[in-house]
Amino acid sequence: MEGMEQWKDQLEQLKIQLEPWKIQLEQWLHQAIEYLDQIPPIQLYAAIAVLFISTLLLFSIRLFKRTKSNTIVLTGLSGSGKTVLFYVLRDGSSHQGTVTSMEPNEGTFVLNSEINKKGKIKSVHLVDVPGHSRLRPKLDEFLPQAAGIVFVVDAVEFLPSCPSVSEYLYDILTKASVVKKKIPVLICCNKSDKVTAHTKEFIRKQIEKEIEKLRASRSAISAADISNDFTLGVSGEVFSFTQCRNAVTVADASGLKGEVAQVEQFIREHVKP
Amino acid sequence: MLEQLLIFTRGGLILWTCKELGNALKGSPIDTLIRSCLLEERSGAASYSYDAPGVSYTLKWTFHNELGLVFVAVYQRILHLLYVDELLAMVRREFSEIYDPKRTVYNDFDETFRQLRREAEARAEELKKSKQTDKPVNNKKKQGQVQKAGSDKGSKKSEGSLATDGGDGDKAKGHKLENGHSNGNHVEMEEPRAGVVNGKENTSSNISAFDVSKLQKRTKGGKKTDTVVNKGSKPDPKKKATKKNRVWDDAPPETKLDFTDPMDGNGSGNDNIEVVAANQGESMMDIEEIISSDSEGEVDDNVQKDSKPKKKGWFSSMFQSIAGKANLEKEDLEPALKALKDGLMTKNVAEEIAEKLCESVAASLEGKKLASFTRVSSTVQAAMEDALVRILTPRRSIDILRDVHAAKEQRKPYVVVFVGVNGVGKSTNLAKVAYWLLQHNVSVMMAACDTFRSGAVEQLRTHARRLQIPIFEKGYEKDPAIVAKEAIQEATRNGSDVVLVDTAGRMQDNEPLMRALSKLIYLNNPDLVLFVGEALVGNDAVDQLSKFNQKLADLSTSPTPRLIDGILLTKFDTIDDKVGAALSMVYISGAPVMFVGCGQSYTDLKKLNVKSIVKTLLK
Repeated sequence: MEGMEQWKDQLEQLKIQLEPWKIQLEQWLHQAIEYLDQIPPIQLYAAIAVLFISTLLLFSIRLFKRTKSNTIVLTGLSGSGKTVLFYVLRDGSSHQGTVTSMEPNEGTFVLNSEINKKGKIKSVHLVDVPGHSRLRPKLDEFLPQAAGIVFVVDAVEFLPSCPSVSEYLYDILTKASVVKKKIPVLICCNKSDKVTAHTKEFIRKQIEKEIEKLRASRSAISAADISNDFTLGVSGEVFSFTQCRNAVTVADASGLKGEVAQVEQFIREHVKP
Repeated sequence: MLEQLLIFTRGGLILWTCKELGNALKGSPIDTLIRSCLLEERSGAASYSYDAPGVSYTLKWTFHNELGLVFVAVYQRILHLLYVDELLAMVRREFSEIYDPKRTVYNDFDETFRQLRREAEARAEELKKSKQTDKPVNNKKKQGQVQKAGSDKGSKKSEGSLATDGGDGDKAKGHKLENGHSNGNHVEMEEPRAGVVNGKENTSSNISAFDVSKLQKRTKGGKKTDTVVNKGSKPDPKKKATKKNRVWDDAPPETKLDFTDPMDGNGSGNDNIEVVAANQGESMMDIEEIISSDSEGEVDDNVQKDSKPKKKGWFSSMFQSIAGKANLEKEDLEPALKALKDGLMTKNVAEEIAEKLCESVAASLEGKKLASFTRVSSTVQAAMEDALVRILTPRRSIDILRDVHAAKEQRKPYVVVFVGVNGVGKSTNLAKVAYWLLQHNVSVMMAACDTFRSGAVEQLRTHARRLQIPIFEKGYEKDPAIVAKEAIQEATRNGSDVVLVDTAGRMQDNEPLMRALSKLIYLNNPDLVLFVGEALVGNDAVDQLSKFNQKLADLSTSPTPRLIDGILLTKFDTIDDKVGAALSMVYISGAPVMFVGCGQSYTDLKKLNVKSIVKTLLK
């Protein structure tokens, strides 16, 4: 009981000690209120609004990141027409032509064909990754946030480049980030306006055939130096794209002529407006 | 005349071309330039030669790193257009003012360009004329004297700037700065291109424009080719020598050197003197300028070591790191690059290659904005890491098994020839490769084409017996090319998938043996020429690979010679963190490292892990 008494005493003392502070605080509060009264209400509201909006923005950014991204990655071998496709999708024309890219092109924009459309249109974040084999490691930076991959193939010079095309596609299709997130892939046969261009069906079959060969040779490499994280297709069956866990589709396009409707459709399917 | 001038972004969009010139370029020189020069970390070079059927262009380029722009000028090789560098610099300056990332069409630049071009051409013409009139006047007056005086003065000057450290260093720096300003941006940009302008431009350098000629002289430096000795190139090498000595030890020996050198020049090279003296008109001025610019490097070093830490307070550096520095300049990069180069060299990267890489990184960073909260050294480090990853990433597929399967479908054996210098482990690693192939159900045959070294065939036979694979041998003293041919025929007959051809080790300078190798490769046309090199090698890696490639190209009788396709790096387990040889070899040959031998047993064969190599190199 004595202990309690002592406690109470101490509490009283504390209260007495705190009294001046309390008064001080109240004074400050009064001052603050007075000060606020002096400020015109519009400014006050504006300040509150700014605070509110900024927090909202922060939250929305986080929300957007959590929801599906709007990044579409353009990839493929060097010289297949990725940069042209990028500018056609963005501006509607390839301007004065392109040369081999040394750095990725990136942009967030509303597709050129949809600029005149009414209503809310979600803009697309398009990345054009250089195709030169020395620059391929760059692709890994963009894949984790990709909502879709457009794999551009040169339909005219297809046959000589078929092995390397397939190998690159194989690498992409077996990347962990692609398989786990089931990122859809569109094989876009570019330059289809040319007379000598191969049809997309032919290209699809050739790539499937080539990947079948790759599967044999890649799975043979001993476990220690496997750079791919997943194997492709079902063992014991001939490979076809339908076996992939992510959707793989084929489309025609012509960057220079501006015929990119199928690519736009693909983008719209995976970046919902 | 100028064939074409292009401005494009690093992303690859052409922003502006000269429509007026309008000549359609034959072939694709720009793409080739980007692929085989700029992306191969060779952008420190001064020019690039493009050859296609019917045309040969010379390309020159300059970067605007902050805006990410590339300016390329293309002209016929036979024309020595001397105003190109200047023109590019002017175009760069003008264009960066009107550049806007959102804009893609710059038609209004046509007029500006026309003006710039006229200006540059006129200036070049004028200088050409003045040079021509100058020459005869100065021709035979007081030849020897002035030459001597000039070079004497040169050496004294250099001594002066060398001997006194702090004060003189500052002075020289001031001088240099002034110099830099008067020359404009242009000269500073050119500096990383040292030593690449070759003899072919040498002949025309006496009619070159002012800036350009100065430049060339400076760039020539060590590599002088003496047919037309320019005013400046004579004292140049001397200075180089003193520079080196300066680093190693103190003043006394180098003064000696300095005094002997001009004497030497006077005494022995009479012919040279006359040619030198013929141009003496401007030489004194030029010498002065060259000294100031040449000693620049070492003065910079001194300044950086001595006065920079003192000058820059703690606060200002702090402030800079927060605000982000405006634009990176060469001087800012230099200490970081030097440290990086030394680091690479301690990792056993060949000096030449470390140097080139640093130049290329400098070219890619100069003029860039430094981001907030970063230091120069970390920026340089990051850029170097990018560059290293880019170099080590193979350009072509290194999936041998697939190629083997492809060859199998055509019912041909897949032939691999192992070449290399003596004692690097060709036979041992051949056996390892055989073992690896066997594990993947490929039938292998060995061909003992080392008919030179005693015991080589027996060694291979032992491996074959242990691995239980057939071996094709014809004893010693046979022509290896014929043995290889018969081996391949044999393999075709008995249905082997792969033929591994062992060859005798040879030094890269051994002409007869290299000729034999060239014959072997030409006769059998293998699918893969694998260079076996040991990871222990340092500066010699460059020599080995470049000579092997060179000899294979020179001594081959076919118009399209086979070069080295891939590299097998041996003794990788013995080198700890000194992995530089991998980088040296890949950079010099452009061929990927296909296998890495890392131990004594058959299983010790790996693939190169690019990431870990880069990490080790930059550690």
